[in-house]
Amino acid sequence: MQQTKQRGAMSWVGDVAVIFGKDLRAELRTKEALNASLSFALVILLLFSFAFDPSSEQTHDIAGGLLWIVYAFAGTLILNRSFVRELPNDCLDGLIAAPIPAWTLFLGKSLANFVLVLAVELISLPIFGIFYNVRWAQQGWALLLVLALTTWGLTVVGTMFSALTVNLRIRELMLPILIYPIMIPALLGAMEVTGPLITGKPLEGDLLTWVRLLVGFDIIFTSLSVALVETVLVG
Amino acid sequence: MVEARNLMYMFYGFLAVWVILVAYVVSLAARERNLKKELMRVRSLIDERERAR
Amino acid sequence: MREKIIYIFAAAAAVLLVRNLYVILLVLPDEAQQGPIYRIMFFHIPSAITCFIGFLAAGISSAIYLATKNPRNDAIAVASTEVSLAFATVVLATGSIWARIIWGIWWTWDARLTSMLVCWLLYASYLMLRRAIDEPTQRAKFSAVLSIFAFSDVIIVWKSIEWWRTQHPGPVLSIRTGGGQMNPAMEAAIYWNLLALILFGLVLVLVRLRQEEMRREIDGMRQMAHAI
Repeated sequence: MQQTKQRGAMSWVGDVAVIFGKDLRAELRTKEALNASLSFALVILLLFSFAFDPSSEQTHDIAGGLLWIVYAFAGTLILNRSFVRELPNDCLDGLIAAPIPAWTLFLGKSLANFVLVLAVELISLPIFGIFYNVRWAQQGWALLLVLALTTWGLTVVGTMFSALTVNLRIRELMLPILIYPIMIPALLGAMEVTGPLITGKPLEGDLLTWVRLLVGFDIIFTSLSVALVETVLVG
Repeated sequence: MVEARNLMYMFYGFLAVWVILVAYVVSLAARERNLKKELMRVRSLIDERERAR
Repeated sequence: MREKIIYIFAAAAAVLLVRNLYVILLVLPDEAQQGPIYRIMFFHIPSAITCFIGFLAAGISSAIYLATKNPRNDAIAVASTEVSLAFATVVLATGSIWARIIWGIWWTWDARLTSMLVCWLLYASYLMLRRAIDEPTQRAKFSAVLSIFAFSDVIIVWKSIEWWRTQHPGPVLSIRTGGGQMNPAMEAAIYWNLLALILFGLVLVLVRLRQEEMRREIDGMRQMAHAI
Protein backbone atom coordinates (compact mmCIF):
# COMPACT_ATOMS: atom_id res chain seq x y z
CA MET A 1 0.00 0.00 0.00
CA GLN A 2 2.75 2.42 1.00
CA GLN A 3 4.67 1.53 -2.08
CA THR A 4 1.74 2.49 -4.28
CA LYS A 5 1.57 5.83 -2.55
CA GLN A 6 5.24 6.50 -3.13
CA ARG A 7 4.91 5.80 -6.81
CA GLY A 8 2.19 8.40 -7.18
CA ALA A 9 -1.56 8.38 -7.51
CA MET A 10 -1.71 7.44 -11.18
CA SER A 11 0.72 4.54 -10.99
CA TRP A 12 -2.13 2.05 -11.34
CA VAL A 13 -2.36 3.01 -15.00
CA GLY A 14 1.19 1.72 -15.40
CA ASP A 15 0.38 -1.50 -13.53
CA VAL A 16 -2.64 -2.13 -15.71
CA ALA A 17 -0.58 -1.42 -18.83
CA VAL A 18 2.13 -3.89 -17.78
CA ILE A 19 -0.37 -6.72 -17.21
CA PHE A 20 -2.20 -5.81 -20.41
CA GLY A 21 1.04 -5.88 -22.44
CA LYS A 22 2.19 -9.13 -20.85
CA ASP A 23 -1.07 -10.95 -21.58
CA LEU A 24 -1.30 -9.66 -25.12
CA ARG A 25 2.32 -10.60 -25.90
CA ALA A 26 1.91 -14.06 -24.40
CA GLU A 27 -1.18 -14.69 -26.49
CA LEU A 28 0.24 -13.28 -29.71
CA ARG A 29 3.34 -15.47 -29.40
CA THR A 30 1.40 -18.73 -29.32
CA LYS A 31 -1.97 -17.57 -30.73
CA GLU A 32 -3.49 -20.68 -29.12
CA ALA A 33 -6.74 -19.18 -27.88
CA LEU A 34 -6.99 -16.74 -30.77
CA ASN A 35 -6.76 -19.45 -33.44
CA ALA A 36 -9.14 -21.74 -31.59
CA SER A 37 -11.65 -18.94 -31.14
CA LEU A 38 -11.45 -17.83 -34.77
CA SER A 39 -11.85 -21.28 -36.26
CA PHE A 40 -14.68 -21.96 -33.85
CA ALA A 41 -16.43 -18.78 -35.01
CA LEU A 42 -16.03 -19.84 -38.63
CA VAL A 43 -17.46 -23.29 -37.95
CA ILE A 44 -20.54 -21.87 -36.24
CA LEU A 45 -21.06 -19.41 -39.10
CA LEU A 46 -20.93 -22.37 -41.47
CA LEU A 47 -23.35 -24.39 -39.34
CA PHE A 48 -25.86 -21.56 -39.28
CA SER A 49 -25.97 -21.62 -43.08
CA PHE A 50 -27.51 -25.10 -42.82
CA ALA A 51 -29.99 -24.02 -40.18
CA PHE A 52 -31.20 -20.91 -42.00
CA ASP A 53 -31.48 -20.13 -45.70
CA PRO A 54 -28.54 -17.73 -46.07
CA SER A 55 -30.03 -15.72 -48.92
CA SER A 56 -33.52 -15.14 -47.52
CA GLU A 57 -34.70 -11.81 -46.14
CA GLN A 58 -35.62 -13.49 -42.89
CA THR A 59 -32.01 -14.39 -42.21
CA HIS A 60 -31.13 -10.71 -42.44
CA ASP A 61 -33.65 -9.99 -39.72
CA ILE A 62 -32.05 -12.44 -37.33
CA ALA A 63 -28.49 -11.63 -38.42
CA GLY A 64 -27.81 -9.59 -35.26
CA GLY A 65 -28.81 -12.51 -33.08
CA LEU A 66 -26.74 -15.02 -35.05
CA LEU A 67 -23.69 -12.81 -34.90
CA TRP A 68 -23.85 -12.43 -31.12
CA ILE A 69 -24.36 -16.13 -30.54
CA VAL A 70 -21.17 -16.71 -32.51
CA TYR A 71 -19.31 -14.00 -30.57
CA ALA A 72 -20.51 -15.19 -27.18
CA PHE A 73 -19.41 -18.77 -27.85
CA ALA A 74 -16.13 -17.88 -29.50
CA GLY A 75 -15.31 -15.29 -26.84
CA THR A 76 -15.66 -17.85 -24.05
CA LEU A 77 -12.74 -19.81 -25.49
CA ILE A 78 -10.46 -16.81 -25.03
CA LEU A 79 -11.85 -15.97 -21.58
CA ASN A 80 -11.37 -19.54 -20.46
CA ARG A 81 -7.66 -19.34 -21.22
CA SER A 82 -7.12 -16.00 -19.52
CA PHE A 83 -6.36 -17.30 -16.03
CA VAL A 84 -5.72 -20.95 -16.90
CA ARG A 85 -2.64 -19.79 -18.79
CA GLU A 86 -1.15 -18.62 -15.49
CA LEU A 87 -1.45 -22.03 -13.80
CA PRO A 88 1.74 -23.76 -15.03
CA ASN A 89 4.85 -22.80 -13.04
CA ASP A 90 2.59 -21.17 -10.40
CA CYS A 91 2.53 -17.93 -12.36
CA LEU A 92 -0.84 -17.03 -10.82
CA ASP A 93 0.59 -17.13 -7.30
CA GLY A 94 3.42 -14.92 -8.49
CA LEU A 95 1.00 -12.43 -9.99
CA ILE A 96 -1.12 -12.35 -6.85
CA ALA A 97 1.97 -11.87 -4.70
CA ALA A 98 3.18 -9.00 -6.90
CA PRO A 99 3.00 -5.59 -5.20
CA ILE A 100 0.01 -4.40 -7.22
CA PRO A 101 -3.63 -4.35 -6.15
CA ALA A 102 -5.70 -7.28 -7.44
CA TRP A 103 -8.03 -5.00 -9.35
CA THR A 104 -5.22 -3.64 -11.54
CA LEU A 105 -4.33 -7.22 -12.40
CA PHE A 106 -7.99 -7.77 -13.21
CA LEU A 107 -8.30 -4.63 -15.34
CA GLY A 108 -5.12 -5.44 -17.27
CA LYS A 109 -6.35 -8.92 -18.02
CA SER A 110 -9.81 -7.66 -18.95
CA LEU A 111 -8.31 -5.15 -21.38
CA ALA A 112 -6.16 -7.82 -23.01
CA ASN A 113 -9.18 -10.12 -23.35
CA PHE A 114 -11.20 -7.21 -24.68
CA VAL A 115 -8.69 -6.58 -27.46
CA LEU A 116 -8.48 -10.27 -28.34
CA VAL A 117 -12.23 -10.88 -28.40
CA LEU A 118 -12.80 -7.68 -30.36
CA ALA A 119 -10.17 -8.81 -32.87
CA VAL A 120 -11.99 -12.12 -33.35
CA GLU A 121 -15.23 -10.22 -33.84
CA LEU A 122 -13.76 -7.78 -36.34
CA ILE A 123 -12.20 -10.60 -38.37
CA SER A 124 -15.34 -12.73 -38.45
CA LEU A 125 -17.65 -9.79 -39.24
CA PRO A 126 -16.55 -9.38 -42.91
CA ILE A 127 -16.60 -13.16 -43.35
CA PHE A 128 -20.14 -13.16 -42.03
CA GLY A 129 -20.96 -10.37 -44.48
CA ILE A 130 -19.66 -12.43 -47.40
CA PHE A 131 -21.30 -15.70 -46.37
CA TYR A 132 -24.71 -14.20 -45.72
CA ASN A 133 -24.62 -11.41 -48.28
CA VAL A 134 -25.04 -8.68 -45.65
CA ARG A 135 -23.67 -5.17 -46.30
CA TRP A 136 -22.72 -4.58 -42.69
CA ALA A 137 -20.45 -1.54 -43.21
CA GLN A 138 -23.20 1.01 -43.88
CA GLN A 139 -23.29 2.04 -40.22
CA GLY A 140 -19.68 1.11 -39.54
CA TRP A 141 -18.90 3.48 -36.68
CA ALA A 142 -22.13 2.90 -34.83
CA LEU A 143 -21.60 -0.83 -35.20
CA LEU A 144 -18.06 -0.50 -33.85
CA LEU A 145 -19.38 1.40 -30.83
CA VAL A 146 -21.95 -1.33 -30.08
CA LEU A 147 -19.35 -4.04 -30.59
CA ALA A 148 -16.95 -2.31 -28.20
CA LEU A 149 -19.57 -1.64 -25.52
CA THR A 150 -20.95 -5.16 -25.54
CA THR A 151 -17.57 -6.82 -25.77
CA TRP A 152 -16.36 -4.87 -22.75
CA GLY A 153 -19.37 -6.03 -20.75
CA LEU A 154 -18.81 -9.63 -21.80
CA THR A 155 -15.08 -9.59 -21.11
CA VAL A 156 -15.46 -7.99 -17.68
CA VAL A 157 -17.96 -10.62 -16.55
CA GLY A 158 -15.98 -13.34 -18.32
CA THR A 159 -12.62 -12.37 -16.84
CA MET A 160 -14.12 -12.11 -13.37
CA PHE A 161 -15.58 -15.60 -13.54
CA SER A 162 -12.49 -16.92 -15.27
CA ALA A 163 -10.61 -15.84 -12.13
CA LEU A 164 -13.29 -17.40 -9.95
CA THR A 165 -13.34 -20.78 -11.69
CA VAL A 166 -9.60 -21.10 -12.33
CA ASN A 167 -9.00 -23.35 -9.32
CA LEU A 168 -11.97 -25.63 -9.86
CA ARG A 169 -11.65 -29.15 -11.21
CA ILE A 170 -14.39 -28.59 -13.78
CA ARG A 171 -13.62 -24.98 -14.72
CA GLU A 172 -14.22 -25.48 -18.44
CA LEU A 173 -17.71 -26.71 -17.63
CA MET A 174 -18.52 -24.13 -14.97
CA LEU A 175 -17.49 -20.98 -16.84
CA PRO A 176 -20.19 -21.07 -19.55
CA ILE A 177 -22.84 -22.12 -17.02
CA LEU A 178 -21.98 -19.14 -14.83
CA ILE A 179 -21.43 -16.41 -17.39
CA TYR A 180 -24.13 -16.90 -20.03
CA PRO A 181 -27.09 -16.24 -17.69
CA ILE A 182 -25.36 -13.11 -16.38
CA MET A 183 -24.56 -11.92 -19.90
CA ILE A 184 -28.18 -12.22 -21.05
CA PRO A 185 -29.11 -8.52 -20.73
CA ALA A 186 -25.98 -7.39 -22.59
CA LEU A 187 -26.47 -9.97 -25.32
CA LEU A 188 -30.15 -9.08 -25.62
CA GLY A 189 -29.31 -5.39 -26.01
CA ALA A 190 -26.54 -6.09 -28.50
CA MET A 191 -28.77 -8.33 -30.60
CA GLU A 192 -31.53 -5.74 -30.65
CA VAL A 193 -29.20 -2.99 -31.90
CA THR A 194 -26.93 -4.99 -34.18
CA GLY A 195 -29.75 -6.33 -36.33
CA PRO A 196 -31.02 -2.91 -37.46
CA LEU A 197 -27.49 -1.46 -37.73
CA ILE A 198 -26.37 -4.24 -40.05
CA THR A 199 -29.27 -3.61 -42.38
CA GLY A 200 -28.35 0.08 -42.55
CA LYS A 201 -30.68 1.77 -40.07
CA PRO A 202 -29.10 4.72 -38.23
CA LEU A 203 -28.46 4.62 -34.48
CA GLU A 204 -31.35 6.68 -33.10
CA GLY A 205 -34.65 6.56 -31.25
CA ASP A 206 -35.41 3.17 -29.70
CA LEU A 207 -31.98 1.84 -30.54
CA LEU A 208 -30.41 4.37 -28.18
CA THR A 209 -32.32 2.79 -25.28
CA TRP A 210 -30.36 -0.40 -25.88
CA VAL A 211 -27.07 1.48 -26.07
CA ARG A 212 -27.93 3.00 -22.70
CA LEU A 213 -28.62 -0.48 -21.37
CA LEU A 214 -25.21 -1.63 -22.60
CA VAL A 215 -23.50 1.34 -20.96
CA GLY A 216 -25.35 0.64 -17.72
CA PHE A 217 -24.41 -3.05 -17.83
CA ASP A 218 -20.76 -2.13 -18.39
CA ILE A 219 -20.66 0.35 -15.52
CA ILE A 220 -22.45 -1.89 -13.02
CA PHE A 221 -20.43 -5.01 -13.69
CA THR A 222 -17.09 -3.23 -14.07
CA SER A 223 -17.50 -1.62 -10.67
CA LEU A 224 -18.81 -4.81 -9.05
CA SER A 225 -15.88 -6.80 -10.45
CA VAL A 226 -13.29 -4.22 -9.43
CA ALA A 227 -14.76 -4.16 -5.94
CA LEU A 228 -14.98 -7.94 -5.52
CA VAL A 229 -11.97 -9.28 -7.42
CA GLU A 230 -9.73 -8.91 -4.39
CA THR A 231 -11.88 -11.42 -2.45
CA VAL A 232 -11.82 -13.83 -5.36
CA LEU A 233 -8.08 -13.77 -6.04
CA VAL A 234 -6.56 -13.07 -2.63
CA GLY A 235 -9.31 -13.79 -0.11
CA MET B 1 -66.14 -29.72 -22.47
CA VAL B 2 -64.07 -26.58 -22.17
CA GLU B 3 -65.24 -26.19 -18.57
CA ALA B 4 -64.10 -29.69 -17.65
CA ARG B 5 -60.66 -29.11 -19.13
CA ASN B 6 -60.42 -25.81 -17.29
CA LEU B 7 -61.21 -27.52 -14.00
CA MET B 8 -58.78 -30.37 -14.76
CA TYR B 9 -55.96 -27.95 -15.38
CA MET B 10 -56.73 -26.12 -12.17
CA PHE B 11 -56.13 -29.38 -10.34
CA TYR B 12 -52.98 -29.98 -12.37
CA GLY B 13 -51.79 -26.56 -11.22
CA PHE B 14 -52.44 -27.34 -7.56
CA LEU B 15 -50.89 -30.75 -8.02
CA ALA B 16 -47.77 -29.13 -9.52
CA VAL B 17 -47.41 -26.84 -6.50
CA TRP B 18 -47.56 -29.75 -4.09
CA VAL B 19 -45.45 -32.12 -6.15
CA ILE B 20 -42.63 -29.57 -6.42
CA LEU B 21 -42.72 -28.54 -2.77
CA VAL B 22 -43.05 -32.11 -1.50
CA ALA B 23 -40.20 -33.20 -3.78
CA TYR B 24 -38.03 -30.51 -2.20
CA VAL B 25 -39.07 -31.54 1.31
CA VAL B 26 -38.27 -35.17 0.49
CA SER B 27 -34.83 -34.17 -0.81
CA LEU B 28 -34.28 -32.18 2.39
CA ALA B 29 -35.25 -35.18 4.49
CA ALA B 30 -32.93 -37.43 2.51
CA ARG B 31 -30.06 -35.02 3.06
CA GLU B 32 -30.87 -34.82 6.75
CA ARG B 33 -30.69 -38.62 6.98
CA ASN B 34 -27.38 -38.76 5.15
CA LEU B 35 -25.91 -36.03 7.33
CA LYS B 36 -27.00 -37.80 10.51
CA LYS B 37 -25.46 -41.04 9.29
CA GLU B 38 -22.26 -39.20 8.42
CA LEU B 39 -22.22 -37.53 11.85
CA MET B 40 -22.52 -40.91 13.57
CA ARG B 41 -19.78 -42.36 11.42
CA VAL B 42 -17.34 -39.54 12.13
CA ARG B 43 -18.21 -39.59 15.81
CA SER B 44 -17.48 -43.32 16.10
CA LEU B 45 -14.28 -42.78 14.11
CA ILE B 46 -13.10 -40.22 16.64
CA ASP B 47 -14.03 -42.48 19.57
CA GLU B 48 -12.14 -45.35 18.01
CA ARG B 49 -9.01 -43.32 17.46
CA GLU B 50 -9.20 -41.83 20.91
CA ARG B 51 -9.38 -45.30 22.44
CA ALA B 52 -6.53 -46.53 20.27
CA ARG B 53 -4.29 -43.75 21.46
CA MET C 1 -35.33 -23.19 20.86
CA ARG C 2 -34.73 -23.46 17.12
CA GLU C 3 -36.55 -26.80 17.03
CA LYS C 4 -39.54 -25.27 18.77
CA ILE C 5 -39.70 -22.36 16.32
CA ILE C 6 -39.56 -24.77 13.39
CA TYR C 7 -42.45 -26.83 14.78
CA ILE C 8 -44.56 -23.80 15.65
CA PHE C 9 -44.06 -22.23 12.22
CA ALA C 10 -44.71 -25.52 10.45
CA ALA C 11 -47.93 -26.03 12.38
CA ALA C 12 -49.05 -22.47 11.69
CA ALA C 13 -48.24 -22.85 7.98
CA ALA C 14 -50.15 -26.15 7.81
CA VAL C 15 -53.24 -24.72 9.51
CA LEU C 16 -53.15 -21.64 7.30
CA LEU C 17 -52.73 -23.70 4.14
CA VAL C 18 -55.70 -25.92 4.97
CA ARG C 19 -57.82 -22.88 5.77
CA ASN C 20 -56.69 -21.18 2.54
CA LEU C 21 -57.37 -24.25 0.41
CA TYR C 22 -60.88 -24.37 1.85
CA VAL C 23 -61.47 -20.69 1.06
CA ILE C 24 -59.89 -20.89 -2.39
CA LEU C 25 -61.63 -24.04 -3.54
CA LEU C 26 -65.00 -23.90 -1.81
CA VAL C 27 -65.83 -20.35 -0.73
CA LEU C 28 -64.66 -18.14 -3.57
CA PRO C 29 -66.72 -18.32 -6.77
CA ASP C 30 -65.29 -18.99 -10.25
CA GLU C 31 -63.95 -15.96 -12.01
CA ALA C 32 -66.33 -14.78 -14.75
CA GLN C 33 -63.90 -14.86 -17.69
CA GLN C 34 -61.37 -17.50 -16.75
CA GLY C 35 -63.44 -20.10 -14.93
CA PRO C 36 -61.93 -22.22 -12.17
CA ILE C 37 -58.37 -22.04 -13.58
CA TYR C 38 -57.89 -18.57 -12.10
CA ARG C 39 -57.43 -20.21 -8.67
CA ILE C 40 -53.89 -21.09 -9.69
CA MET C 41 -53.13 -17.42 -9.11
CA PHE C 42 -53.56 -17.94 -5.36
CA PHE C 43 -50.40 -20.01 -5.38
CA HIS C 44 -48.66 -18.45 -8.35
CA ILE C 45 -48.44 -14.85 -7.10
CA PRO C 46 -47.53 -15.62 -3.46
CA SER C 47 -44.85 -18.08 -4.65
CA ALA C 48 -43.34 -15.39 -6.86
CA ILE C 49 -43.25 -12.89 -4.00
CA THR C 50 -41.82 -15.48 -1.61
CA CYS C 51 -39.07 -16.45 -4.03
CA PHE C 52 -38.00 -12.84 -4.57
CA ILE C 53 -37.90 -12.19 -0.84
CA GLY C 54 -35.65 -15.24 -0.59
CA PHE C 55 -33.33 -14.13 -3.40
CA LEU C 56 -33.07 -10.68 -1.86
CA ALA C 57 -32.27 -12.20 1.53
CA ALA C 58 -29.63 -14.39 -0.11
CA GLY C 59 -28.02 -11.37 -1.80
CA ILE C 60 -27.94 -9.32 1.41
CA SER C 61 -26.66 -12.25 3.41
CA SER C 62 -23.92 -12.86 0.81
CA ALA C 63 -22.81 -9.24 1.03
CA ILE C 64 -22.73 -9.51 4.83
CA TYR C 65 -20.71 -12.70 4.50
CA LEU C 66 -18.08 -10.94 2.40
CA ALA C 67 -17.89 -8.15 4.96
CA THR C 68 -17.78 -10.30 8.11
CA LYS C 69 -16.66 -13.76 6.86
CA ASN C 70 -19.10 -15.29 9.31
CA PRO C 71 -20.01 -18.77 7.98
CA ARG C 72 -23.52 -18.35 9.36
CA ASN C 73 -24.29 -15.78 6.67
CA ASP C 74 -23.12 -18.17 4.00
CA ALA C 75 -25.46 -20.80 5.40
CA ILE C 76 -28.36 -18.34 5.33
CA ALA C 77 -27.54 -17.44 1.72
CA VAL C 78 -27.49 -21.01 0.48
CA ALA C 79 -30.57 -22.01 2.47
CA SER C 80 -32.70 -19.17 1.20
CA THR C 81 -31.44 -19.52 -2.39
CA GLU C 82 -32.31 -23.20 -2.46
CA VAL C 83 -35.78 -22.72 -1.00
CA SER C 84 -36.43 -19.76 -3.30
CA LEU C 85 -35.43 -21.83 -6.29
CA ALA C 86 -38.06 -24.39 -5.31
CA PHE C 87 -40.65 -21.60 -5.18
CA ALA C 88 -39.40 -20.21 -8.49
CA THR C 89 -40.01 -23.65 -10.00
CA VAL C 90 -43.54 -23.53 -8.62
CA VAL C 91 -44.03 -20.11 -10.24
CA LEU C 92 -42.87 -21.36 -13.65
CA ALA C 93 -44.87 -24.59 -13.50
CA THR C 94 -48.14 -23.05 -12.33
CA GLY C 95 -47.74 -20.17 -14.79
CA SER C 96 -47.29 -22.64 -17.62
CA ILE C 97 -50.37 -24.63 -16.67
CA TRP C 98 -52.44 -21.47 -16.40
CA ALA C 99 -51.13 -20.25 -19.78
CA ARG C 100 -52.10 -23.53 -21.46
CA ILE C 101 -55.76 -22.80 -20.72
CA ILE C 102 -55.90 -19.03 -21.03
CA TRP C 103 -53.46 -18.46 -23.91
CA GLY C 104 -53.66 -21.95 -25.42
CA ILE C 105 -49.88 -22.42 -25.18
CA TRP C 106 -47.53 -23.69 -22.49
CA TRP C 107 -44.99 -20.96 -22.92
CA THR C 108 -44.67 -17.55 -24.50
CA TRP C 109 -41.72 -15.17 -24.52
CA ASP C 110 -43.58 -12.60 -22.56
CA ALA C 111 -41.54 -10.22 -20.42
CA ARG C 112 -42.26 -11.75 -17.04
CA LEU C 113 -41.95 -15.35 -18.15
CA THR C 114 -38.61 -14.71 -19.76
CA SER C 115 -37.27 -12.78 -16.79
CA MET C 116 -38.41 -15.48 -14.40
CA LEU C 117 -36.66 -18.12 -16.49
CA VAL C 118 -33.41 -16.13 -16.55
CA CYS C 119 -33.70 -15.70 -12.79
CA TRP C 120 -34.16 -19.44 -12.37
CA LEU C 121 -31.09 -20.16 -14.51
CA LEU C 122 -28.96 -17.66 -12.57
CA TYR C 123 -29.70 -19.23 -9.21
CA ALA C 124 -29.47 -22.76 -10.55
CA SER C 125 -25.92 -21.90 -11.60
CA TYR C 126 -25.31 -20.67 -8.05
CA LEU C 127 -26.17 -24.09 -6.65
CA MET C 128 -24.05 -25.77 -9.33
CA LEU C 129 -21.06 -23.63 -8.41
CA ARG C 130 -21.44 -24.67 -4.79
CA ARG C 131 -21.34 -28.33 -5.70
CA ALA C 132 -18.18 -27.77 -7.74
CA ILE C 133 -16.10 -26.36 -4.86
CA ASP C 134 -15.02 -28.60 -2.00
CA GLU C 135 -13.14 -26.22 0.28
CA PRO C 136 -15.76 -24.54 2.57
CA THR C 137 -14.21 -21.07 2.88
CA GLN C 138 -13.57 -20.81 -0.83
CA ARG C 139 -17.04 -22.10 -1.60
CA ALA C 140 -18.62 -19.52 0.68
CA LYS C 141 -16.55 -16.68 -0.77
CA PHE C 142 -17.06 -17.51 -4.43
CA SER C 143 -20.74 -18.24 -4.14
CA ALA C 144 -21.24 -14.98 -2.24
CA VAL C 145 -19.64 -13.14 -5.16
CA LEU C 146 -21.88 -14.98 -7.62
CA SER C 147 -24.96 -14.25 -5.54
CA ILE C 148 -24.22 -10.53 -5.60
CA PHE C 149 -23.64 -10.63 -9.36
CA ALA C 150 -26.82 -12.64 -9.85
CA PHE C 151 -28.99 -10.27 -7.86
CA SER C 152 -27.65 -7.21 -9.69
CA ASP C 153 -28.28 -9.04 -12.93
CA VAL C 154 -31.86 -9.89 -12.01
CA ILE C 155 -32.62 -6.18 -11.73
CA ILE C 156 -31.06 -5.40 -15.13
CA VAL C 157 -32.73 -8.42 -16.73
CA TRP C 158 -36.11 -7.36 -15.44
CA LYS C 159 -35.72 -3.84 -16.82
CA SER C 160 -34.23 -4.85 -20.16
CA ILE C 161 -36.73 -7.57 -20.95
CA GLU C 162 -39.51 -5.16 -20.19
CA TRP C 163 -38.06 -2.84 -22.86
CA TRP C 164 -37.67 -5.76 -25.21
CA ARG C 165 -41.33 -6.65 -24.93
CA THR C 166 -42.69 -3.13 -25.05
CA GLN C 167 -40.79 -2.76 -28.29
CA HIS C 168 -42.63 -5.67 -29.85
CA PRO C 169 -46.05 -5.76 -28.20
CA GLY C 170 -47.43 -9.29 -28.49
CA PRO C 171 -51.08 -10.33 -28.49
CA VAL C 172 -50.67 -11.93 -25.08
CA LEU C 173 -50.14 -8.63 -23.33
CA SER C 174 -53.71 -7.40 -23.84
CA ILE C 175 -54.98 -10.42 -21.93
CA ARG C 176 -52.72 -9.57 -19.03
CA THR C 177 -54.04 -6.06 -18.78
CA GLY C 178 -57.64 -7.33 -18.98
CA GLY C 179 -57.58 -8.36 -15.32
CA GLY C 180 -58.76 -5.02 -13.98
CA GLN C 181 -59.72 -4.52 -10.38
CA MET C 182 -59.71 -7.53 -8.17
CA ASN C 183 -62.51 -8.62 -5.90
CA PRO C 184 -61.43 -7.75 -2.32
CA ALA C 185 -62.22 -11.26 -1.07
CA MET C 186 -59.91 -12.71 -3.72
CA GLU C 187 -57.18 -10.24 -2.94
CA ALA C 188 -57.43 -11.13 0.74
CA ALA C 189 -57.07 -14.81 -0.16
CA ILE C 190 -53.84 -14.00 -2.00
CA TYR C 191 -52.43 -12.26 1.06
CA TRP C 192 -53.45 -15.12 3.35
CA ASN C 193 -51.76 -17.60 1.10
CA LEU C 194 -48.71 -15.36 0.86
CA LEU C 195 -48.45 -15.51 4.64
CA ALA C 196 -48.82 -19.29 4.57
CA LEU C 197 -46.15 -19.75 1.91
CA ILE C 198 -43.72 -17.37 3.60
CA LEU C 199 -44.13 -19.31 6.85
CA PHE C 200 -43.65 -22.58 5.00
CA GLY C 201 -40.58 -21.18 3.21
CA LEU C 202 -39.18 -19.99 6.53
CA VAL C 203 -39.55 -23.48 7.98
CA LEU C 204 -37.69 -24.93 5.00
CA VAL C 205 -34.93 -22.33 5.32
CA LEU C 206 -34.53 -23.08 9.02
CA VAL C 207 -34.32 -26.81 8.38
CA ARG C 208 -31.80 -26.27 5.60
CA LEU C 209 -29.83 -23.95 7.89
CA ARG C 210 -29.61 -26.64 10.53
CA GLN C 211 -28.29 -29.05 7.93
CA GLU C 212 -25.62 -26.59 6.90
CA GLU C 213 -24.56 -26.27 10.54
CA MET C 214 -24.51 -30.03 10.90
CA ARG C 215 -22.27 -30.25 7.86
CA ARG C 216 -19.88 -27.75 9.38
CA GLU C 217 -19.82 -29.75 12.56
CA ILE C 218 -19.00 -32.89 10.59
CA ASP C 219 -16.19 -31.10 8.75
CA GLY C 220 -14.76 -29.89 12.07
CA MET C 221 -14.95 -33.36 13.59
CA ARG C 222 -13.30 -34.86 10.55
CA GLN C 223 -10.38 -32.49 10.96
CA MET C 224 -10.21 -33.48 14.61
CA ALA C 225 -10.16 -37.14 13.63
CA HIS C 226 -7.27 -36.42 11.30
CA ALA C 227 -5.42 -34.60 14.06
CA ILE C 228 -5.74 -37.60 16.36
